[in-house]
Amino acid sequence: MANPDTTKTAQTTLTAASATKQATVDSSGKEMIHIKVFSPYKTYYNFIGYSISGVNDTGPFDILPRHHNFITLLNPCVLDIRVQSGSKRIRISKGVMHVKADKVVVFLDV
Amino acid sequence: MRQLLDIDKERSSMMTIVQLTSAFETLASMRISQIKNQVLQAQGFFDELWNIYIQLRVDSIFRFGRHNSEKVIDKELYILITASGGFSGDIDQRVINMMLEKYDKDKQDIIVIGHHGSILLAQAGIPYKRFFELPASDHNINVEPLIHEISQYKNSFVYYQTYLSLMSQEIKRLELSTAIKQYSSMAAENKEIISEQTYIFEPSAFDVAAHLERSMLQITLGQVIFDSKLAQYASRFRAMSAANDKSKESYSDLNTLYNRTKRSIRDSQLKQIIIGLTR
Repeated sequence: MANPDTTKTAQTTLTAASATKQATVDSSGKEMIHIKVFSPYKTYYNFIGYSISGVNDTGPFDILPRHHNFITLLNPCVLDIRVQSGSKRIRISKGVMHVKADKVVVFLDV
Repeated sequence: MRQLLDIDKERSSMMTIVQLTSAFETLASMRISQIKNQVLQAQGFFDELWNIYIQLRVDSIFRFGRHNSEKVIDKELYILITASGGFSGDIDQRVINMMLEKYDKDKQDIIVIGHHGSILLAQAGIPYKRFFELPASDHNINVEPLIHEISQYKNSFVYYQTYLSLMSQEIKRLELSTAIKQYSSMAAENKEIISEQTYIFEPSAFDVAAHLERSMLQITLGQVIFDSKLAQYASRFRAMSAANDKSKESYSDLNTLYNRTKRSIRDSQLKQIIIGLTR
């Protein structure tokens, strides 16, 4: 799995200019995003996290707080969600990721 | 004496039937509840996906996920969803009868899901393009081969049985493109536009829109198959419930007959003893 710190693509550097909404932060003031990963019949993750990593046609990518609005089709990969207690990994066959205003929704099996 | 043994044997067979029908009734009722939950969960998923799609699309034409360059068969596709076995009463025949009201072999092609439907069509001499088995599992139904077929036609209609309640099921005809638009309960509420000016797309906005169309088609078809299965389970539940009541009644009759016969044998034995004593 790609290391979130070393595989930053151009996508992660883009910042939503209109992101006026107050960001979610942890106890140390580090910004977090809301992540929801679900399929038509099951929810795999629905909570806050520091980042989420996946793979699309371009290659591995990470979504960090203040990411630009983004929609991508996901390739078969392991989604890596960095949370306070470590990381949570979800193996997927395909999906669609939607990122907007520090909220990431991953639709699986579609 | 032999008669008593026969009644006893019949009585225990009837008890087995009572237990079996009761088990099948419980099983059908459990499946109904599971499928109902799945349908509700999928509705929420579909709504969120639809909300993105509606903000993204540039016109109101639903293209079934195909590209503009792809050739379209100038016919309609009729999809019939029927049961896999013959225990569904006349409901499959009703699905076919409804389809035949509009069917013209030069204007429509047929795809049938469920073995029973394919047999009924063959018996009636109606040709069909493809046949799929009704999925045995109630989870992760793969409808991709069906979507591949649908995307080749200009429009598609589904004929299926739908669940109203445990006691009533009805036949429905559904135009897929309209159904997908109507399926969302939160359509057109969010008027924000998703475009290349406000979003990054990978691989492209068109590919994402086409993918979302295929995905929503996939969910809608899955839901229709679930609805059909729900109706079949309800029909089975009703049949099992009636069979259970009937077998309980028969068991009670046999039990009474057994006790009466046993008593009469005992009475005649007593009578013989008394006659022997009085001599």
